[in-house]
Amino acid sequence: MRKYYLITLTIITIVFGSLSLYAESNIIFGGSFQTDNRMYLKNNNDFSWQEYRLDLDLDANISDNVHFYSDFWVRSLGFPNIQKSSDLFQSKMVTPQKFELKEGYFDIYGLFSENLDVRIGRQRITWGSADKLNPTDNLNPDDLEDIWDFGRHLASDGISTKYYLGDYELSAVFIPSFSPAVFPGGNWATALSPSLDLPTGLSLGSFSDKIILPENNIKESATTGVKVAGNLFDYDFSLSYVHGRDDLPLINKVIITPIDTVGTVEISTEMIFPKMQIVGFDMAGTVGDVGVWAESAIFFPERIIQETDLSGLGMGTQESVVLDDAPYVKYVVGADYTFTNGIYINTQYLHGFIHEKEESIEDYYMFGLEKKLFEDRLKITPLSGGLEVKNYDNFEDNYAIIFSPEIAYSPYDNIEFIFGAYIIEGNKSSTFGKMKDYDDVYLKTKVNF
Amino acid sequence: MKTLIQKTLVLLLISLSIGTIWAEENKLTAVQILQKTDDVINAPKDQDLKIKLILTDKKGKEKTREMSMIQKGADKRLVKFLSPAAQKGISFLSLPDDVMYLYLPSFKKVRRIASHVKNTKFAGTDFTYEDMEAIRYSSKYIPKFIKKDGEYYVLELTPKEGIKTDYSRLMMWIRTDNFYLTKMEHYNRGNKLFKIMTRNNIEQVNGYWIAKESEMNDLKAKHKTKMIIDSVKFDSAFSDNIFSKRNLSK
Repeated sequence: MRKYYLITLTIITIVFGSLSLYAESNIIFGGSFQTDNRMYLKNNNDFSWQEYRLDLDLDANISDNVHFYSDFWVRSLGFPNIQKSSDLFQSKMVTPQKFELKEGYFDIYGLFSENLDVRIGRQRITWGSADKLNPTDNLNPDDLEDIWDFGRHLASDGISTKYYLGDYELSAVFIPSFSPAVFPGGNWATALSPSLDLPTGLSLGSFSDKIILPENNIKESATTGVKVAGNLFDYDFSLSYVHGRDDLPLINKVIITPIDTVGTVEISTEMIFPKMQIVGFDMAGTVGDVGVWAESAIFFPERIIQETDLSGLGMGTQESVVLDDAPYVKYVVGADYTFTNGIYINTQYLHGFIHEKEESIEDYYMFGLEKKLFEDRLKITPLSGGLEVKNYDNFEDNYAIIFSPEIAYSPYDNIEFIFGAYIIEGNKSSTFGKMKDYDDVYLKTKVNF
Repeated sequence: MKTLIQKTLVLLLISLSIGTIWAEENKLTAVQILQKTDDVINAPKDQDLKIKLILTDKKGKEKTREMSMIQKGADKRLVKFLSPAAQKGISFLSLPDDVMYLYLPSFKKVRRIASHVKNTKFAGTDFTYEDMEAIRYSSKYIPKFIKKDGEYYVLELTPKEGIKTDYSRLMMWIRTDNFYLTKMEHYNRGNKLFKIMTRNNIEQVNGYWIAKESEMNDLKAKHKTKMIIDSVKFDSAFSDNIFSKRNLSK
């Protein structure tokens, strides 16, 4: 009963708070509603994704110096998850729903100094100049829930400041507590999860894992970052530094226990989030009429030694380095151009996908070609996707081609229908090649209000 | 015969001299006219406009957009879309020396507009990013006096050397009484007329001339965009800081 009182009180506070804000300030409500249905091209055309998302924005200029913004998602995501009759009594099992505060912050402009802006609250901090794949965008955890939504991140609870000095901008960010990345669901989960190789002759019977989060204090959990941005020789550039942790876990402990005499074993693992320092650089500008950008990040990880306990097999404990403390680099270079006939092309070379580190880093050649027709009502993207190359010396066994054509039609303002496909061809040793049997087609609809 | 040749040569020389002087006078006049036009268009210290855009396709179907536009002097302009919902928050900043920035709320990023984008349509209208740029025409184009057509001066403008533009030339109709630009024809790189801008409802507000309605007509697409000024304020003493990347995303 007390819970209901609290919920009612919260709703009343939000409603009356919003109304009083509305009365006193320039407040704007807006948002969108979108549907996203996908099904496999193979596998009996099973549905692979179902999402109905209400995105609600509230934007208020409380005064000349204070601004408030919030973004809520109310979602029905996934399919009924009914295992037993008792599940039928739980509506969240029948219709999975989520309510998320995606962002919620307020800005104070000109605090202490005319040139200082401060943002406090849950916020998305976008660093980097490349197109959606940004090695320097490391303050917010990756949100890989929908792997095809490249560049999506969670927002973080923290404080960010920007100081403006002429054409230069100095940013500082402090996020006190750590939050890991969200992994993709379903079949994609295995494609990006850390792999574990079993010793020869052993087969997996059961598996369990444990995630060790960093201690919940500033020393162990906080993420900090600074960036200076400006313009040199007509190119926008920035230099950045981040101190925090990798948001994807790494296995640091494995216990292998035999459960029979024919080599079947039980495996339990422990995973941690390595500490990481990242120095980043990015630039954007034009060469002739062509838009160009480059972005690079040098990662300085802590050394992680994986301990494999094979004592149950009479082999003692072995140690191996799963993450060395040697720096490694990820980078992107890209260009785009619009022809006079309106055809837009975009290409990027990416060294290092989101989850890759050190020796596992691969190359990706991304491309896109789009054209708008009929007064921009129709947008066709016949060529879009990428080529993943894991090993140039043995290309045939180490590549994947991703092809994602799309047609978007907007019959009226604020309404859009999008039809497309995600098609993968290649070898299963590559990240995307692992998913070659799960090609999707999708239909998305969206209304903005 | 010799006398006839001499007379012909003298006449030819006199004609050439008169022609040169006439052309020189007209060139100077053309420059002066264009400078006066720039002065009239950019006379206010700053401008604060609320604008309604009506887009009409070849079937006569209309779409409406709303935006705010503030301008300081002749070379700083900030445009923000207010509607429709799908475009709300898209902002565009034009600064001196061809520097333009775009803010797309869905990406939460301010991006510099590359020159290849400048000839593309601005948010589906018939105005390109280049058309939306705050400029003094006299600093980018060389004017040539074509004729006086009734109450209008007609000038032909060609880009100065080193100026990047998608227009091979512009034809301008300028009122003789107040030097206000009323019509402009845009010719593409193939020297083909493809867009015409007309300005109507020209009136004086607080002593400054302003066209309450402008229309850009894309002849090839048979599509037009009418820009109607709903409200206007002049000389609000805007700070230079407003025309910054900092303010673009606010």
